[in-house]
Amino acid sequence: MTWINLAVRNLFRNGRRSLFTIAAIALGFLAVNALGGFTAYIFSSLKDSYIYAEANGHLTIFKEGFLDKGKLDPTLYLLSEQELGTIKEILSHYPEVVIATPQLQISGLLSNGHVSTIFVASGRVPSDMQTISRQAGGAMGKIKLYDGKPLTNDAVYGIGVSHGLAKQLNLKLGSSAVAMAPTVSGQINALDAQLLQFIDAPIEALEDKLATVPLQFAQNLYDTKNVDRLTVLLKNNDQTYAIRERLASEFAAADLKLEIKTWNELSPFYTKVKKMFNVIFLITFLIVFTIVVMSVVNTVTMAVMERTREIGTLRALGMKRTGIVALFSLESMALGSFGSLLGVALTLLLVNMIELLRPTWIPPQITREVPLQIHMVSEYWLYSVLLLLLLSLLSAILPARKAARMEITNALGYA
Amino acid sequence: MPTPALTPLIELRRAIKHYSLGEGQITALKGIDLTIYPGEFVAIWGPSGSGKSTLCNLIGLLDTPSSGTVRFNGQDAAALSDDQRSEARNRSIGFIFQGFNLIPVLSAVENVMLPLQIGHPSSRLSKEAAIKRLTEVGLASHIDHRPTKLSGGQQQRVAIARALIASPALVVADEPTANLDSENALKVIDLMRKISKKEGTTFVFSTHDERLLDRVDRQIMMRDGEAVEDRKTTLKSGKMAGVSL
Repeated sequence: MTWINLAVRNLFRNGRRSLFTIAAIALGFLAVNALGGFTAYIFSSLKDSYIYAEANGHLTIFKEGFLDKGKLDPTLYLLSEQELGTIKEILSHYPEVVIATPQLQISGLLSNGHVSTIFVASGRVPSDMQTISRQAGGAMGKIKLYDGKPLTNDAVYGIGVSHGLAKQLNLKLGSSAVAMAPTVSGQINALDAQLLQFIDAPIEALEDKLATVPLQFAQNLYDTKNVDRLTVLLKNNDQTYAIRERLASEFAAADLKLEIKTWNELSPFYTKVKKMFNVIFLITFLIVFTIVVMSVVNTVTMAVMERTREIGTLRALGMKRTGIVALFSLESMALGSFGSLLGVALTLLLVNMIELLRPTWIPPQITREVPLQIHMVSEYWLYSVLLLLLLSLLSAILPARKAARMEITNALGYA
Repeated sequence: MPTPALTPLIELRRAIKHYSLGEGQITALKGIDLTIYPGEFVAIWGPSGSGKSTLCNLIGLLDTPSSGTVRFNGQDAAALSDDQRSEARNRSIGFIFQGFNLIPVLSAVENVMLPLQIGHPSSRLSKEAAIKRLTEVGLASHIDHRPTKLSGGQQQRVAIARALIASPALVVADEPTANLDSENALKVIDLMRKISKKEGTTFVFSTHDERLLDRVDRQIMMRDGEAVEDRKTTLKSGKMAGVSL
């Protein structure tokens, strides 16, 4: 017989009570890891959506001051062809860089010939956007965020507009429109455009304003060869901060006055969602923590009461106070272990059920249904097991110490 | 009757034990002086509330006196820490309880192994010793039985085997026959006596059953917390119940 064996046998002296406690621990594990897995799915989806589906990459390089004062004097803060060439030359020495693609964001009026309304658009290189989208690992990164035909490098005047903007101007796929905007030198310019696609606006405020155009279209409208940013896609998200540091040093050495922003710095929505889910996770964790601690404390306290005479017997036979604490702690750890095992099984069952049933939902910032998933985050699972074991152990300490401090003669006389 | 050795195993000097009862206090023992030598087979008897169990508790180092001294093997019990008293009980004292106090989730052999396992020897050696002791008390065929599957007499024999597993110098039994019928009570006392004579183990047990007194070497009569009589007796022939060792 081992003490672990005795602890496990003791657990099942009141099987129903122990099973309830094990179930409480298991459901706690399930709750924390289901929410944790869903949170991880949300974070990774938002990240993939921003980096790959919306083709914003991991890093974006601006001319220093562009984000603060770029709108006041665009000519001063645009990247020239020469600067772009120098930057691309530096980036070419980085094997971690998959692609670096320029962008020019524009705003102006879009007209159907009768009515005009404002629009904002990003001018991009269509083939580069497709290259970025192809690099996505998860489903969310590959999601098609438009209806209609893809933009191409050759169809310079083929554009996409958001559903709301198209509705305002009564534009159908294939319809013609006119885009008007002041050039960088302040002259009014107008270009014919053909609607190739309806795009999803990431936020409601842009639903009646957003457009996407080929870079060349944007440059023609603004009458410039310059761009306002360079989007850099890396092979691995983990490299983001290290590459930024290295690039910043190299740019400074090359006397380039640039600033580099990471994808999450440019995506405040991601940061807000992450903070919100962290709070939800913390609240859930605290509820689980309370349930687990109270269940284990109740179970061990009842066990101590029911087995007072037995505690007296063990003490009479020579077991030290620490031995009594250790025995009840072992029982509590056994509760934690069985609860965690059951929790792992239940969570696996849930994850596999979701995998099998493939439910869909419409997450924030995306207007179409996507598969709902719960990721299996091994660190969460490991930490949950360790934490539940620790909680079980700590919960047992007080009642176990109380048991150990009993007078032997009182314990032996306990009926 | 054993010849008392020169060194006492147990010595109580002016041992007093008070208990708090609400705001008041009761005195369970009123200055006991007592010496017990190795190998003695001693009965402490008297009516309920006379202080028998309290005296057994002090002798077995389960409790310490409110004043006076209790010495075990010459060592003052009050000078020992709780852990040291636990070690002394584990190594040198076996206990038999009125309610048998077996652990219900353990088999007979596992119950008997307990004192050795508390002292940390290997499971294999503990099991061998436990089987040997269970065989000695006539329970070789019941080693894997849980306590609930044993009769009262069998449970008390498991408890005796458990008390003896560590070959202690002293076995303290508090009313070991109170929960047994007359036949089993006599068998248990005779078994304890045989072991005492065979192994030289000192037995101190409390009882209120006068029929058992002619089976002991020495009777200490308690009344109102005092030892009013301490008498050595001679075992009459033909009084041993049918037990084998």
